[in-house]
Amino acid sequence: MRVMAQMGMVMNLDKCIGCHTCSVTCKQAWTNRSGTEYVWFNNVETRPGQGYPRRYEDQNTWKGGWTLNKQGRLKLKAGGRLKKLFGIFASPIQPKLADYYEPWTYDYETLINAPLGDDFPVARPKSLITGEDMKISWSANWDDNLGGAPQLGHLDPIVEQVRRDAESKIKFEFEQTFMFYLPRICEHCLNPSCMASCPSGAIYKRSEDGIVLIDQDRCRGWRQCVTGCPYKKIYFNHKTGKAEKCTFCYPRVEVGLPTVCSETCVGRLRYLGLFLYDADSVTGAAATPDPRDLYQAQLDLILDPTDPAVINAARDSGIPADWLDAARRSPVYALAKKYRVALPLHPEYRTMPMVWYVPPLSPIVDLLRDQGHDAERTGVLFGAIEALRIPVEYLAELFTAGDTEMITDVLRKLAAMRSYLRDINLDRMRDESIPASVGMSGDEMYAMYRLLAIAKYDERYVIPKAHVEQAHDLEEIGCSLDFDGGPYASESGPFGEASGRPSPVAVETFQALRERQTTGAFADSGDLHGRVNLLNWDGKGSPSGLFPEQKS
Amino acid sequence: MGRPLADLAHGSEEKRITFAQTQTAPVPVITSPEWSGSETGGRRYAPFTVNVERLKPWHTLTGRMHFFLDHDWLRDVGEALPIYRPPLDMHRLFGEPVLGADGSRQITVRYLTPHNKWSIHSEYQDNLFMLSLARGGTAVWISPGDAASINVSDNDWVECVNGNGVLVGRAIVSHRMPTGVVYVHHAQERMIDVPKSEATGRRGGIHNSVTRLLVKPTHLIGGYAQLSYAFNYLGPTGNQRDMVSTLRKRSQQVTY
Repeated sequence: MRVMAQMGMVMNLDKCIGCHTCSVTCKQAWTNRSGTEYVWFNNVETRPGQGYPRRYEDQNTWKGGWTLNKQGRLKLKAGGRLKKLFGIFASPIQPKLADYYEPWTYDYETLINAPLGDDFPVARPKSLITGEDMKISWSANWDDNLGGAPQLGHLDPIVEQVRRDAESKIKFEFEQTFMFYLPRICEHCLNPSCMASCPSGAIYKRSEDGIVLIDQDRCRGWRQCVTGCPYKKIYFNHKTGKAEKCTFCYPRVEVGLPTVCSETCVGRLRYLGLFLYDADSVTGAAATPDPRDLYQAQLDLILDPTDPAVINAARDSGIPADWLDAARRSPVYALAKKYRVALPLHPEYRTMPMVWYVPPLSPIVDLLRDQGHDAERTGVLFGAIEALRIPVEYLAELFTAGDTEMITDVLRKLAAMRSYLRDINLDRMRDESIPASVGMSGDEMYAMYRLLAIAKYDERYVIPKAHVEQAHDLEEIGCSLDFDGGPYASESGPFGEASGRPSPVAVETFQALRERQTTGAFADSGDLHGRVNLLNWDGKGSPSGLFPEQKS
Repeated sequence: MGRPLADLAHGSEEKRITFAQTQTAPVPVITSPEWSGSETGGRRYAPFTVNVERLKPWHTLTGRMHFFLDHDWLRDVGEALPIYRPPLDMHRLFGEPVLGADGSRQITVRYLTPHNKWSIHSEYQDNLFMLSLARGGTAVWISPGDAASINVSDNDWVECVNGNGVLVGRAIVSHRMPTGVVYVHHAQERMIDVPKSEATGRRGGIHNSVTRLLVKPTHLIGGYAQLSYAFNYLGPTGNQRDMVSTLRKRSQQVTY
């Protein structure tokens, strides 16, 4: 047994209101730069819906994650080394810009500069790729709140799957409407297929806390990781030519602060804490033959932080005592393993994702309520979980590789919690048969309710600080204020923007924010900031941005 | 002598709110019994806390929360208790078209302007990030049935026209909408991607271009217990949202 620590997140989907605060604050903090216009480290999808990028879950097309070969060993779905070598320059299996969206801005300057006219001026959308006027026809979240579902909903890979496998068919009709929001960040997997896909070895999983990062110095822009990641949470920065991904806000986590998405979450649905896991068993668990057994296999990897044998082994592998204490208080451990109400997203990809979800009961409760039932009575709700198969089957495809029994167990626990707590709230006799029916005691159920409903800041975020003696290993490579050219450096190296060492992300973000806050100029002055864009160049003349503009 | 309430302001004795502070950010007011919530000691706002905990009478005729409005005019029109009133017949009263499809390229629908999820007017909605996480401009939510009857697909340009004005936007076709109703979310900014309308040749309007306020006699009650004017407290109900408008697909070649 080799014990390692992993920073994990659990999101309680019943509490997500789809406000996109996490996406906006994340983008503001990390990807508000040219080259990353289309990059959303955090996004919130409405499900049923295609997600971002479109249909990313369709691994027949995108070939993300792992599969088993004939000997039952793990291999990348995109193919082995030889196959990858032949395609290394092309990286043919990639979502295109149209699968993400064409990022745009608005011609805001017109609003104050337009000449006097009969109509007041408006800001038209302008493509951030071509600089031309455009009609917006896709965005980072086009199907928000089921918008366009009657025409586009069948393109959701999960809808396709459920329609293929299940007796009940998902119909996009008013009376059968169900939906929920799915916030997504990088899964910081135990068995990351992005890392295995990288020909340069630029992606690494930090041994201290399991955060998966890309070394910007070593990344050579092969884009194999974009193919390898089944969640499509690695993005290609088209300005630097390097890959970027969610960092789990490591500069914050190292000093005990929650990630930006967690800190700003309005619904307080995110939980952060440590998992201890057995690193020796990861590969074996990921190679579990039946995809439906993968959840259990992953659960078995997670070790009990109160078990003396685990504590001893953890000490042996150098995990500090305060980290072990944090692991014992970890809310994510409690939700995933103690109460077993959190589930991994798409365990069938075999990457062992470490951002887990408490599946939403609300699609079922809402349907019941709309049909005129008392949606909090135990019998009614339990019966509904059995009867309303469509939401259950949909959730099963997301969280349990299609196993509806497992998802039903979790939903029954959540339903039992509602009914049990209703009696307490109304000062009625506690019905201890309710928690017993889902294999819990009344006290356990109340503790689970407390954690899910009213846990305070330091109960939701139990983040041990990084240790000084590990500081050197944790440092973002090449990132400090005395970095050559430092935070006050110009945008490009001596021979143009791609020359020299790339600026570390933190430095570039710092610079961009500083510039925006101190500049008197408009955010978008219309030029492409010295970026050469050959994408739409027709070969005539010189492409815009190749030479500096003549300043008049 | 009465009920002590001065402690509601404990800890705020030295607090001053300057004009400069209010320019920087919203500043919470000091809790007083005049208001219904208590934020003393950093407590989160909840309505009627003072009424419940300090037994402060509600600002009503009886001092209690109540639905019964004992006023002659309300009794005359039978609205002393909350009752259901069907939508007005806008065709008979104001000459708007009859509801439903009329076989031409347009359909007449109920035009509602609810608040967008989690935005306060244009705040939290009208910025580049949020627009990139939505449709990026004025949107009209339409049911699949209505959309099919006028041959509208998702993201087509449409126009809402009635006696009050014109709105131009792009359609969001969704089965979350019941037939016969469109949603145009509140206060989507007219500065963002609004082309000229076909109906007037002028710039397409905002959600409220198509609505108007309808005043009825009971709105004119005043000076009677809780039915008295106070800033931001008493006004006509939101009946201007109960509107009827034609909806049609317009030329997809828009000009600005």
